[in-house]
Parts: sequence; C-alpha cells; structure tokens
Amino acid sequence: MSGTKTVALTIDGRAVTAPEGANILRAAEQAGIDIPHFCYHPAFAAEGNCRMCLVEIEGLPKLELACSTPVREGLVVRTATPRVEQARRDVLEFLLADHPLDCPVCDKAGECQLQDHYDRYGRFPGRFVEAKQKKDKLVRIGRGLVLDRERCILCARCVRFLRNVTGTGELGVFERGARAEIGIFEDVPVDNAYAGNLVDICPVGAITAEDFRFQTRAWFLARKPSVCPLCSRGCAIVVESVTGYPLPEAKRRVYRVTAGQNPAVNGYWICDLGRAGRHDIDEGRPAGLLRKGVAVDGEPWQKALAEVTAAIKAVPGSDRPARIAVVLNARLTCEELARAKALFVTGLGLDRISFADRTPGTADGLLVTAERVPNSRGAFAAGFDPRLPTIEELTGATVLLVFGSGLAAHFSEEALGRALAAVPSKFLFAAHAGPLDRLFDLAFPLAVPAEKSGTYINVGGVRQSFERALSPPAGAVPEGEILTCLAHGLGLNLGDFDVC
Amino acid sequence: MSQDTVRLIPSDEGSWRLDAYLRRGGYEAARKAVTSMAPAGIIAEVRKAGLRGRGGAGFPAGLKWSFVPQGVSGPKYLCVNADEGEPGTFKDRAILVRDPHRLLEGMVIAAFAVGIHTAIVYVRGEYERIAGRLREAMAEAEGAGFLGPDIFGSGFGLEVVIHFGAGAYICGEETALLESVEGRRGTPRLKPPFPAVAGLFRAPTVINNVETLANVPSIIGRGADWFTAQGLPKDCGTRLFSVSGAVRRPGLYELPTGIPLRTLIEDHAGGPPEGVSVKAVIPGGLSAPVLRADELEAHLDFESMALVCSMAGSAGVIVIGDRTPMLEVLGVMSRFYAHESCGQCTPCRIGTSWIHRTVTRIAAGQGRRGDLDLILSLADGIKGRTLCPMGDAAALPIQALVTKFRDELEQAVER
Repeated sequence: MSGTKTVALTIDGRAVTAPEGANILRAAEQAGIDIPHFCYHPAFAAEGNCRMCLVEIEGLPKLELACSTPVREGLVVRTATPRVEQARRDVLEFLLADHPLDCPVCDKAGECQLQDHYDRYGRFPGRFVEAKQKKDKLVRIGRGLVLDRERCILCARCVRFLRNVTGTGELGVFERGARAEIGIFEDVPVDNAYAGNLVDICPVGAITAEDFRFQTRAWFLARKPSVCPLCSRGCAIVVESVTGYPLPEAKRRVYRVTAGQNPAVNGYWICDLGRAGRHDIDEGRPAGLLRKGVAVDGEPWQKALAEVTAAIKAVPGSDRPARIAVVLNARLTCEELARAKALFVTGLGLDRISFADRTPGTADGLLVTAERVPNSRGAFAAGFDPRLPTIEELTGATVLLVFGSGLAAHFSEEALGRALAAVPSKFLFAAHAGPLDRLFDLAFPLAVPAEKSGTYINVGGVRQSFERALSPPAGAVPEGEILTCLAHGLGLNLGDFDVC
Repeated sequence: MSQDTVRLIPSDEGSWRLDAYLRRGGYEAARKAVTSMAPAGIIAEVRKAGLRGRGGAGFPAGLKWSFVPQGVSGPKYLCVNADEGEPGTFKDRAILVRDPHRLLEGMVIAAFAVGIHTAIVYVRGEYERIAGRLREAMAEAEGAGFLGPDIFGSGFGLEVVIHFGAGAYICGEETALLESVEGRRGTPRLKPPFPAVAGLFRAPTVINNVETLANVPSIIGRGADWFTAQGLPKDCGTRLFSVSGAVRRPGLYELPTGIPLRTLIEDHAGGPPEGVSVKAVIPGGLSAPVLRADELEAHLDFESMALVCSMAGSAGVIVIGDRTPMLEVLGVMSRFYAHESCGQCTPCRIGTSWIHRTVTRIAAGQGRRGDLDLILSLADGIKGRTLCPMGDAAALPIQALVTKFRDELEQAVER
C-alpha cells in the first residue's frame, strides 16, 4: 500500500518487512511464521493474558509478547529458541492442569486451539497430580449459547467482543486467581444479534452453540466460503456441510454457517440472522418438481421446461411485450441477471419485467442492512429498474414466469390466487416450497445462493464473486441454468454476454 | 534521633491535627514551592535528592514526575497508593494515623510540580477508619487554604478524593489500581503505555506511595543536600521499617537507608525472644526472597539487597524464629499468592494455585519425591513471564525459600 511506511526486521533469521505499527505476531504471520496464541485477536487491542506468544527479542533480557510489541526497524526476533519453546510448554502445561480434557465429547475438538497448540508445541508428559477444580459445565448465557467454565482458558475474547464490537458488555470476568470465571452480570443474559460470533472466537470449547452441540464432529465438515444472501451487506460466510461421511443420511446437510473474513465488508463477524441461514439451505426445500402443488415423481425438470418454452412460443412475437410477464428477484447473481436481460429483454423483447423480494427490515447500525436481499445493486447494474409488479400486470398476462417466492411477501395468497386464476400459463421457479406452489402450473425447484457460483454487489458497491459451497439437492438447479435452457429451447443464442 | 533528621512519624500529642503539624513547621515547604518555586525546579530538587519510591520498586520519584508530558492540554492525575497490601508492611497506615498532613503537603508539592489539579488517595478497604484521620486533615487543610481551589492564594488548586479499595492485593500494582479507580475489576494493564503518559482515564498520571510523598516536604523545605546527607548516596533518606515476627520489640522503626539487617533486628527490635534464635528473615515484605540467618550482615537498601538476590521492597522485615517450620512459611506464602493472583494471565493464575495445592498436599503428609523440584520448576514458569510484577513477586520468594531451606523441606516431603 502506498503511503504506509514499512519497517524491515528479522524473524528467525528471515528478512521480513511489515507496515509500521504492526505487531510482531502479525508481521510473522504474514511471513508465514506461526506464533501460537490464544487471547490475541486482530480485531481487538492486545491484552497479553494468555502469555502463549512470548518471543525472544535480541537485546532484551526477558521474553516479550509478540501480540503487543510493535515492529521496529532492525528488530531481531526469534520464535523457535529453546527458551521460547519452554515458555510455550509451560503455558500449555498451566492451561491443561485444570482442564477437563473432555475432548471426546467437546464440540470444539478438531478445531480447538488448545488441542492444536499442544499437538504442535506441547507433547510433554503431565505432571499435575492434584484434584482438578470442578466448575460449572452447563451455563446457559443466552442466545442459545452454553458456557463450560472448566474448559475456559480466560482469554477474555468473549468479554472484549461484547464490550468493543456490540457494545453490549453482557459478559465479565468474576472472582480472582484460579477461581476466576466468565459470567453474565446477575441474571441479565447475553442478548444481541451478534452473539453467535462468541462461538467462533472462543479458542477452546468454552462457549458452544446449542444449535451445534453434540450434532457432529468438526472434522466431518467441509468448509466452503460463500456470501450471505440475507441482506445487502453480503458478509463473507463459511458454509460447513457434511460431505458424506460418516452418515449417508446425516441429520443435516449444513451443520452451521460461520463467519468468513472480509476486511472490506464484515471484518471478522456475521450476525445471527446469517448464521441461522443454515436453515434456509436445508429446510423447506421441495423434493422435486410440483404440478399444481403436487409432487411429480420422476419427471426431469428439463422435460417440464419444454412446456414453458411451448407456452412462450405460442404467443406471437409482436404480442409478447403485452402478454408475457416475468417476475425476477435480487437473489439472482449478476451473471444470472445479465442472462435474464439477454433472454427476456434483448431476445424476447419483453417489457413487463418486475421484481419481488422479501420486505425490507431495519438496519442495525453494525452489519445488517434494511434491504434483505443480496444483489439489488446488481439488478441496477444489469440495467433493470427493480419494481414490484401490480396485480393487474399479473392478471393481464398470458404467460407468467415467476422467480422466487417474494410475491407472497407483498400480496395475500387470496389476491394472488384470484389474479393467477386468469393467467392461462404460469410457472414458478423457487428454492423453497411455499403457499404459491399450488397456484402455478409448474413449480421448479431452484438452488439457494450457497449452491450457486456468481457475483453479488453489496450495499457499498463491493463486487464479490463466490463459488458454489455445496451441491444443490437432486433436481434443483440455479436460475442461470434454467435461463440458459429456456434460451436454448426458444432457439435464442444468448452469446458471450458480459456479466452484469 | 536528632532534630535534624527526617521524622515521618511524629510523637507529639495530637500529632495528626493541623495545629500540631503547623507547630512542627508544617506546610512551609508547600508554601515555598507553590509561591516561590518553578515546577521544573521542584522536580529537579526531588531528582537531586534521589528519593526512591517507598512502595517497593524503588523507582526514583523525581524521574517519574518528569515523565509526565508537559504543555499538553487535558487533565492529569496524582494517585496516592495507600493500598499497603504487602504482607509484613504497616508503615503507610502509621503516616495516615500520625501525620496525614505531611502526606497532604507532599501531595500539594507533587501536584504543583507536575501541574495536577486532582489527586486520588487509593486507600485499602481495611483502612477505612484510619482514613477518617485523612478526611479530617483534608477538611482542616482546606479550611486553612492549604488545599482546595486556591492554595496559599496562588491560584493553584488541588482537589483530593479518597477512593477505597475492596481488598485485592493486586490493586496495589499501579495499573490495577487505576483500573479499580475507574470502576473496573482490578487487573493490571499492559505497559506501555506507562501511566505517566496514559494512566487514569488514559490521562497522564503520577502514582506515588504514601511514604514517598511524605518525604517530599522535608526535601523541599530543607533542600536536597540535607536529604542526601542521610542514608546512602544512591538511596537517600530514611525508611520506615515494619518489623514483625520473632523479635522482642516488633514495630515501626524509622532509620537511615542502608543500615545492616542485624542492627535493625538486634539493636532496635531487641533481637529474638528468650530461647529463640533467628532462622530466616524476609527483608522487604513477603515478596522479598528470604535470607538465611548467616545473611544478616546485608544492608537494607535497594542495591545491597539486590546483591544478596533479595529486595528492600516495602521494608517490611519479617523475622522467622527457629521454632517455625519452613513448610508452614511456604504454606502461608503460597496460599497468599494463590489467593491474591488476579487471574488475568495464565502463569500466575494457574502456577500459584498449582504450587499452593502441592504445598498443601505436602503439609497433609502426602508429599511425593520430586515435589520440591516441581515447585521450583512451576515458579520458573511464572518468573519473568507474567503481565505484571506480581508473577515475580510470587515466584522469587517461593524459589528462594525452597532453595535455601531445601533440607528442612525435603524432610517434610519424605515424612
């Protein structure tokens, strides 16, 4: 970056440059040198609680904290000397002394910093022969979070998150010495829309989510990045799904959605709505094609799509703008919107193209925006003017193509039923089963955003491309594939269109 | 002691009252400082006097004052550390009881020198009644114009607030003290930034011990040369030695720095009672590594004590007689640090507790071979690795005790 001064230092004999003001831990990390730590988190000021990141600095008698010592020109740092290694072992031995070692039933096992650091930097025989301290193992602290005080290593990341990020400060450290423990104040529970992040930042299994506890093991999960589709912030998320092993019919496909990192969008956090997005991926999905709301067994969507092309073809070219209506939505990716534009506007010459999306909510001043769709900027960028259809517009159509279930949020089922009764050919493409299904001739199951690749443009104009995080259920396809097949069926060549 | 030496603890009738203090020449130094001296001149005089912090660390007070950035707008604070939590130390309470005006005068001078208008006296909770004397003295001083918005008519003002601690040893550590005053849980802060730059409410802050400030009026009143004529060249003046344990006359002794430990114990405190001999001495509060009976020739000043790998610390001298089992001393010591560790950083939180549990097991007759080495090794894991000096304060005395009295302790382990 221009304008940022850099300093040159030596870490483990390697010449490293780092931006002025960076700490040794980050400088080492960027040079690929791992300095183990528990309490340090890049989102917070260093607190120096865990003492795991102690390193040797030439000219200084004591070991120094890598997390709080800023880089300086000419600094010579050593992170792998016997003295440093001994200090790490000592910290691990202290942390493990009273630790319950209940890894076999701990949900953090497999992604636990204490396990990982012991595995890499510990591996000493235990010397602790005293009785381990007993502490509360099941403290419900609110928002579906469970605190296990025996596993807690008092890094206080959770306390700092609630003080610095949400500003709600529900957790504190109580008592002193080895009796010190995390807790809520009196009986006021953790209650904010970002509480789920506490599970992500807890380096051990002290704070776990009831939604995830005892459901699966961390090592069975495939972690794939995606972009959260639940508001126009477009936070980076990680979709964690079971890839097959060990249960062919696992209880869930997606076990959790966790925060991804994107400094330009969400930093390190996501809201609990985004986390609850796992339900959207797995629940309420239609089993297959529906005809008047009734499942059609074994009929491939490609074959059924021929009915859609036939209905469109039946409308003479010059009548199409008046008689074919299309309802899109802002969950479509930029690429899909461009394809829709090429098919419906350029190819078929339609002008009755509207959008139906979830109703807006309220912005919370942190990450959640009022707009509860991921890509309305993308719709504008594709040349659409997203507006809700009128009932008359729907009623007057001969052929109606509706993408998504957004209409249900704006019109009553009864009004839609009356409007659609007059439409001879009507087709729905939706990822979730809903009350609209039975009003349409055919309802095609779609992929959800996590099952798609593409690009969203967020509220701040940030373009984010993402890859498919998991495969759609059998028979469900992304809108883009539907659009391509429709074009093919209509004999239209969408050509090499530019995305958005 | 002659008239011409420092007397921090007066013995005249009603010595704590303003009129008695004025009879002893009280507030003349503050008047001189505030009305006729430049702040920089005061700091220079205190630096020249070589007054070292009496709380335990021995940091030169004038130097500390000079670290406060000058010419910066916004508030600055003076925090007086009257938390006096170091076991074996009971000197600050004597000043608060017998001579609270001397502390207030020292505060006025320090505040004027650094440009401070608000001072907080952080008094340990157990001294609540004692602090009544300070409160009375504050009212008297304000009534006489020695404290308050316009001191000696100079336009310089100083407001003093008393803040009580809630009983945590750690709040005697200066940054934990600041956290406590700010209304939070008393846990130390990472340094830097140092309090002189970002202290109370992140404003520049001077933190001085009660005894340190009580020395300031004489230094300003009589000059640095007069002060340095007492005690040692690099560690001047007198110290209040709190002597407890196996001596005939336990109590508080004000003596020049650098006197031999043996002189203090035998000549002043009367030596051990009949039939008891001195086995060990903790020379500077519980955190000072113990000395054996054959080390009593050592002198009581910061440098001499460092030479015998101990500390002058808070000058709390605990004399241990030959009838006291060292395992019991180790038990008291390890319980104290395990109980008082704030719990913020790993080595101190768990190390002190582990050591204490090991010592308790040995005391219960379930010692195992290797326990003493385990204790030494656990203390090694604390030493130099903690967030604040309390880690060393716990590890060093425990290691010294185990090392110096290993044979006796080994027998207890084997039993």
